[in-house]
Amino acid sequence: MYRNQNTSVFEKPSLVIIGNGMATGRLLDEILERTPGQYQITVIGKEPYGSYNRIMLSSVLAGETTIDGIIQKTPQWYKDNQIEFISGTNVSHIDSENKKLILQNSQNHESLEDQKIISYDELVLAVGSRSAKIPAKNQNVKGLFNFRDIKDTEQIQSFANQASALKGEDKKALVIGGGLLGLEAAYGLAISGVKVTLIHRNKWLLNRQLDQVSGTMLQNIMAAKNINFILGHEVAQFTSNTNKEGENILSGAELTNGETITAEMAVIATGITPNKELAVSANIITERAIVVNDFMQTSNRYISALGECCQHKNSTFGLVDPIWSQCKSLAERLCLGRLSAFKNAPVPTKLKVSGVQLFSAGVVESSDTTQTFVITDQKSSIYRKIIIKNDIIVGVVLFGDVSSGMVYFEMMQNKQKVLHAMPELLIGHEFMAIEAENKDQRSEAA
Amino acid sequence: MNSNIIFTDRQDATVGLASSIHKTTCPYCGVGCGVSTTVIDNKIVSVTGDKNHPSNFGRLCVKGSSLHETVADTGRILTPKVFGKQASWEEATSTVAEHFKQTITEHGPDSVAFYVSGQILTEDYYVVNKLMKGFIGSANVDTNSRLCMASASVAHKRAFGEDAVPGCYEDLEQAEVIFIVGSNPAYAHPIVYQRIVKAKEDNPQLKVVVIDPRATATSKNADLHIKLKPGSDAFYFNGLLAYLAENNAIDTDYIEQHCLGYSEALDTVKSQMPTLENVAKACDIKLKTLLESYQLFAQHKKVVSMFSMGINQSSSGVDKGNAIINCHLASGKIGYVGAGPFSITGQPNAMGGREVGGLANQLAGHMHFENPNEIDLVQRFWNAPKMAQKQGLKAVDMFDAVNSGKIKAIWIIATNPVVSMPNANLVKKALQKCPMVVVSESYESAETVNYADVVLPATTWGEKEGMVTSSERTISLQKSLVSAPGMAKNDWEIVTLVAQKMGFSDAFTYKHAHDIFKEHAALSGFENISADENIHRSDTEHSVHRAFDISGLANLSLDEYLNFTPTPWPINAENPKGTKRLFTQGGFATKTGKANFVPVVAKYPQVVPSTKQVVMNTGRIRDQWHTMTRTGRVPKLMTHLSEPFIQINAKDAKRLNVADKALLQLDNLGSTYIGRAQITDEQRVGEIFVPIHWNDSFSKSAKVSALISSITDALSGQPEFKQCPVNISAFNAKWAGYLVSTMPVKLTTDYWTMATIEQGVKYVIADKQGLPYCADNSETFLQTHFPEISDWLVLKDDKSHILRIAGFVDNVLTCFFAGGTDLSVKYSTQFIEKQIGQKHNPKTRFKLLSALDSDGSLDVGEIICSCFQVGEKTIKHAVASGDCSSVEALGKQLKCGTNCGSCIPELKAFINS
Repeated sequence: MYRNQNTSVFEKPSLVIIGNGMATGRLLDEILERTPGQYQITVIGKEPYGSYNRIMLSSVLAGETTIDGIIQKTPQWYKDNQIEFISGTNVSHIDSENKKLILQNSQNHESLEDQKIISYDELVLAVGSRSAKIPAKNQNVKGLFNFRDIKDTEQIQSFANQASALKGEDKKALVIGGGLLGLEAAYGLAISGVKVTLIHRNKWLLNRQLDQVSGTMLQNIMAAKNINFILGHEVAQFTSNTNKEGENILSGAELTNGETITAEMAVIATGITPNKELAVSANIITERAIVVNDFMQTSNRYISALGECCQHKNSTFGLVDPIWSQCKSLAERLCLGRLSAFKNAPVPTKLKVSGVQLFSAGVVESSDTTQTFVITDQKSSIYRKIIIKNDIIVGVVLFGDVSSGMVYFEMMQNKQKVLHAMPELLIGHEFMAIEAENKDQRSEAA
Repeated sequence: MNSNIIFTDRQDATVGLASSIHKTTCPYCGVGCGVSTTVIDNKIVSVTGDKNHPSNFGRLCVKGSSLHETVADTGRILTPKVFGKQASWEEATSTVAEHFKQTITEHGPDSVAFYVSGQILTEDYYVVNKLMKGFIGSANVDTNSRLCMASASVAHKRAFGEDAVPGCYEDLEQAEVIFIVGSNPAYAHPIVYQRIVKAKEDNPQLKVVVIDPRATATSKNADLHIKLKPGSDAFYFNGLLAYLAENNAIDTDYIEQHCLGYSEALDTVKSQMPTLENVAKACDIKLKTLLESYQLFAQHKKVVSMFSMGINQSSSGVDKGNAIINCHLASGKIGYVGAGPFSITGQPNAMGGREVGGLANQLAGHMHFENPNEIDLVQRFWNAPKMAQKQGLKAVDMFDAVNSGKIKAIWIIATNPVVSMPNANLVKKALQKCPMVVVSESYESAETVNYADVVLPATTWGEKEGMVTSSERTISLQKSLVSAPGMAKNDWEIVTLVAQKMGFSDAFTYKHAHDIFKEHAALSGFENISADENIHRSDTEHSVHRAFDISGLANLSLDEYLNFTPTPWPINAENPKGTKRLFTQGGFATKTGKANFVPVVAKYPQVVPSTKQVVMNTGRIRDQWHTMTRTGRVPKLMTHLSEPFIQINAKDAKRLNVADKALLQLDNLGSTYIGRAQITDEQRVGEIFVPIHWNDSFSKSAKVSALISSITDALSGQPEFKQCPVNISAFNAKWAGYLVSTMPVKLTTDYWTMATIEQGVKYVIADKQGLPYCADNSETFLQTHFPEISDWLVLKDDKSHILRIAGFVDNVLTCFFAGGTDLSVKYSTQFIEKQIGQKHNPKTRFKLLSALDSDGSLDVGEIICSCFQVGEKTIKHAVASGDCSSVEALGKQLKCGTNCGSCIPELKAFINS
């Protein structure tokens, strides 16, 4: 247990969390589950909302749900749980020697009067990430968006809405990036009536999770929803016009292959960059992100980090499963003083894109030393693949039907020998047992 | 009982059509069972055994039980074809008549030939025989009975003076000991076999001795199995004759009164084999076992020796038959209830064919060419312009003559010689060369049709009408129950039309089979004197004695004909109700009235295997008939054994390094047979057994007859089908699998076998090349076979070990292929067969690729009971659970074995294991 140096023995130690994303939401739950009331907790969030489910933003964009529908912790909730919630506020500096923070209203960060200083006993950095930059020229134009937060979503939505209000011509949008975020943005826009062209650097979509066959299946399904694809190319530069007000307005893009496309809007969704700058300014060790040990502790013993802003060993994070484990490990230490090491266990990717389930774990591509079993049903857009090396599953790609995915994943984790169960296992793990019984009877008969 | 037609008052509830029940005779084996059929709306909807028929008393085997499933318009030849083009009957019969006439004019009567079948009816046979032997003037008429009964026929003639089976089925039930020799009646004559089984149940004292080189379903139920060296049967029966002589078991009074040549026959035996040790050695069996069996023969009065193809299909088949008959004559075990040698016929009307004289060495009505009186008698009866004067060419010689160009026109009726003849590929070549090949046939799948210049569509069982004679001389009617499909005509009708066009209208005026039968019956009685009169007949007298006398039927009315009660011949004034047993008081059909002992020098098969060869035995399996044109159409009959196989001893399998169920290859005469190894101690070392049924229509290389040399018995002309040395090797498949499809396709793999299933067809496949696999579109392998399919579901691996493909049309599973390089995988297709032709959910259909149902319940294992489709797994489970400890209990619980009973030997094996 740590003693708060800035407060008297009778006061609770203060725990300050910077960032109010999904990791913070989960961390608060973990803390309240263990030792509610142990800390005076303060949460500082840049956005003006409570804690919301960022994963659902594409549903909001698609009009399938609303902003209210994805808020998980309202300001009232913080109040009810005696947590001080400072929203719409940036932390401009950490004085780690004195364990103080300098805050700035995020809406008006030029004004010195709005500066506020608070102290902490324990500090958690959960500052997340931001959209990665692309090398294209002429990005300072109106109509170019990221797709990270509620504000981005609202801007895209309002732009799209203006578009659909226009008569005659469809509003055209570019989405840059064929990863999950890009596909979700494209899907959301297409559903709301925008004519979308998705530009992806790789030859097929979701190239980290899918192989070419399944990636192409996904493309075909999305193409049927009126989304255009340009694969294997990047945006060289955005094109723009100047309006009456003198603003630079996006007019389209020129690709690396010289092709030009017109569009009123573009969404960049090529990936994320961890927010490590605050930590750098506090002399905390960072690499690609804020480096933490097995217990989510940074190089400063009073400062922890977790979520998309942290780096554990060589990994950074974008999926929820490992982040939930980080929250647990950190809560154990902060609340109970237990050192419960975070293990960065591999996790399968389970996604639902454009209504299609997909599941991916381990390697995606075969090699000379592997044997790959594949089911392809082009008409039904079902694809299942298991990659085996030395009798053990090293990769799984399921598309359109993800049944048995977790069983394969466990087998992969447990290094279970599976070659004898192929190909029945690939069709469904339930067939493996039937087949085994048949084999028994065969050997009996022999 | 007197009326065979019972019009019931039952109305079919669904169709609203009257159903009627008709009695007829089964067209399969020589047992000649009575069949009761239900006909609705010109369709035979069900069959049951005729309870009143003397052959079967209500029982039917699995083949007979599914007769109604064979009668369908699909796969039938529906119109005449002349040189590949559809033709009218007028055109087709004119072409045949003109061509035959011209050939005869240019090259003489012996330049034409008929090759017919033990499956055509007596009336068909009679018309063919009359046309050739009396009007064309050649005896070049032979029949597939040559492959079946010819040796027994000659043996009978030599011993009794006439080709006549002395006893009847009842003798099997009344016997104290039954010797079953070279015969597996449990499979080949199931109803006779069941009568034996029942008799044994009723009389546990009844002993059954099986003499067969291989263990069979029959031998498993026997008291004693003499597993002798293949082809050593004459050594065995010669030894028995010597044993009888040495052990005071000779009926000297009987020999004195009724036989000739005993001492000579015995001397011949003794000079070849002085001791019984010699016999045991010659037969490769233990002396103790040999003596045990001899003792059973000697010590009982009522002994029947039943024999069939194991004796007949031999280069010394006639002698073997006589060696058996010698023993019965010597001990007087003949001519009374429960005794006698008993040749069991293979085909439904082999005996009827012999009665009309349908073999090249016979004339007509049990008369022969050797006696000019007999030729004269027949000529006068027929008022024939041009009588044949000498024997014609027997089957093997006949096709040799076709091959050498001596025969220039041949008419093949109801038989499939390119499949069934020995050295069958030579028959194929001969037919390809022959200027005029006419084929009268019912089924498209009969391979011989492919070699015909003129194809004539013939009626078959259930459509045609006429008499057949069973193994016990019982004449019985096959009835016309439904109308002929397409333009098909009865065989007698087709031959009559051609005979008329050849200018013989006066002698061929038949309007109905009944007209022909009456003439045949009249001929049998024409100048026929009794056996007694025969002894005292002077050599100049014209009359000829024939035991075959059915003159009592010469005035049969049409109504009596159509309602004919099965009756054994002779049927004449003396025996108007027929005759169960012949030669009861001696009275043999020889000039002396005495039976002849025939001295037999026992011989082994002609060709001796080299050290690397095995001796191939051939035979029938339980659920198939001959070349499968009929039974191959019935899915139920394909479930027991759906693939050509090779039964082989474990030692030989080990030598060849093949596992059970692996493919084996046999080679001889430049032909190959590929079948699945069944490793079994049923076979002796160095010997294999192969089924006769499969052929090019059903399998890539399974025509066993193509491997068999045309070595024949010098007396009977019957080929040596049972002991042919062949080369054997493992078929080194690279991958194996199967294809199930709604319709047949032409596969090009190194091995395939087709089986008819309810929903279409199933192919079992193996290949010596790698698994068909193209990285992106494996379905191209099937695409060529199924151009209409574009919706493919594929499972494969990138090392080409496994490939499964399902093809859909509108989500209906149309074909399913599964293959893999792991040859030990035994595929069960029961689940997927049921899915073929069904619509499937596009989101879950990929699960079909398992070829398994998710709970496994549909897989019942290999089908054992064909009638009720009860599988091995189900039976094993019932036995293992302790619920069923007897065949009866299994029948009660699962119904297996309760219909035809063919599977009872196998059920017993499950219980005993």
